[in-house]
Amino acid sequence: MIALPIAQAAVPRGIGLLEWLGDLDTWLGPDGILSSGLDTVTLCAAVMGTGILLALPPAALLAHLRRGELTATALVTLGRAVPTFAVAALLVPVALRRGWGFEPWPIFLALLLLALPPLYLNTYTAIRHVDQGTVDAARAMGFGERSILFRVEFALAISVVFTGIRVAAVQVVATEPIRAFLGGDGLGRYVRDGLGQNNETLIIGGALLIAALAATTSLVVTLLERVTVPHGVRRLRLQTASRRGSIG
Amino acid sequence: MIPALQASNPIVRWSWFVDEWDQIQAALVQHLELTLLALGLGLLLSATLAAVALRYERGAPSITAGAAAFYTIPSVALFGLLVPYTGLSRATAVLPLAGYTLLILVTAIIDGFRSVPAEVREAASGMGMSSRRRLLTVELPLALPYVITGIRIATVSTVGLVTVAAIIGQGGLGRLILDGLRRTFWTPMTIGASLSILLALALDLLIYHAGAAATPWARRRRA
Repeated sequence: MIALPIAQAAVPRGIGLLEWLGDLDTWLGPDGILSSGLDTVTLCAAVMGTGILLALPPAALLAHLRRGELTATALVTLGRAVPTFAVAALLVPVALRRGWGFEPWPIFLALLLLALPPLYLNTYTAIRHVDQGTVDAARAMGFGERSILFRVEFALAISVVFTGIRVAAVQVVATEPIRAFLGGDGLGRYVRDGLGQNNETLIIGGALLIAALAATTSLVVTLLERVTVPHGVRRLRLQTASRRGSIG
Repeated sequence: MIPALQASNPIVRWSWFVDEWDQIQAALVQHLELTLLALGLGLLLSATLAAVALRYERGAPSITAGAAAFYTIPSVALFGLLVPYTGLSRATAVLPLAGYTLLILVTAIIDGFRSVPAEVREAASGMGMSSRRRLLTVELPLALPYVITGIRIATVSTVGLVTVAAIIGQGGLGRLILDGLRRTFWTPMTIGASLSILLALALDLLIYHAGAAATPWARRRRA
């Protein structure tokens, strides 16, 4: 494996954008948009699943115990500063030496690093800001610590937790296309191939597809929140947010 | 994997670092130039937008929402979309990069000026300061710590994003990364990636100290 395992999408030159997007082969072929998109969605879903499992439990627990305020503050800065491309590049030789292959471990880990700060931060902040009076009331009513965490604090915080999930998911989906420049494929391949072949149709078409997937992701998480968050909690949160200024 | 290749392909071959120093230096300078151009343009735009948002309170939420929406546009997509219009040029790299700083900088500037207590502003006016003098000598210094924190975050994130601009042939250190990947030769890749992270940390530290020097009262309060 000396050269990168890159199979360039074969696209006739001089084809228009609508013509390219209107061709069924563009979508269904072996290197088609659907299979590339599925690659991207699968990786992003794996990153988000792992990120949620890793970030939410410690964030919820520490916020419940009211510890680790400083870690949370430091994460605000870190969240916007993770250099995904550089981190993934540094991991490529490591992954190869360990026999994990070129792909997708480096980009997976780099994206995970990108997803963790907003997930942790929003969960922590949301639970930390649950009204202490409510928690005390629950304790006085005989709620155990575990019940307080799950049935009072987490229930009241879930809307803001979802905001964190949305921010993280959109960032992950928006950044995943650099995978195409790191020896992988996914939805970023069209921009890469378009740049390589000097084919504007492919560049613009690929860019639009990536942007559309990012927008869809935001929409899907919002819908997921609608379905999951109980009506009463949502109303409560809106009232609290307008009173205090949103923390999302 | 050919064993011979593997053996001769360490993560960093230091002789390459020495031999190719000219190339590394050029990439580093280009990286710095792109970062500064994007930050300068971003700061200019952000100051304007924040001034509008502070003047017309009602417009503030839509300005921050607009900056937030821009931030979610994938960088690969944005670079790609601009290529047909601005070509593989420096503008194609700088415009999106400047746009990505808006969310951080606009929020920081607005927060900074909103943090100035109303009594302080009233006192300044009461002492007979014109509104411009009040802005420059009272409000701006008091807002500065917020603004500097914003600039630090924007700088670190821009240095990271500049590497991605290598895909349109502008990337500075990102070009070393792509070059190493294409040839499966780890040295330029490792050096490019490490230097971009070091550059981000160095600039962050520099701005932190410059900010501390510019706002001595804040340091005293912290101590």
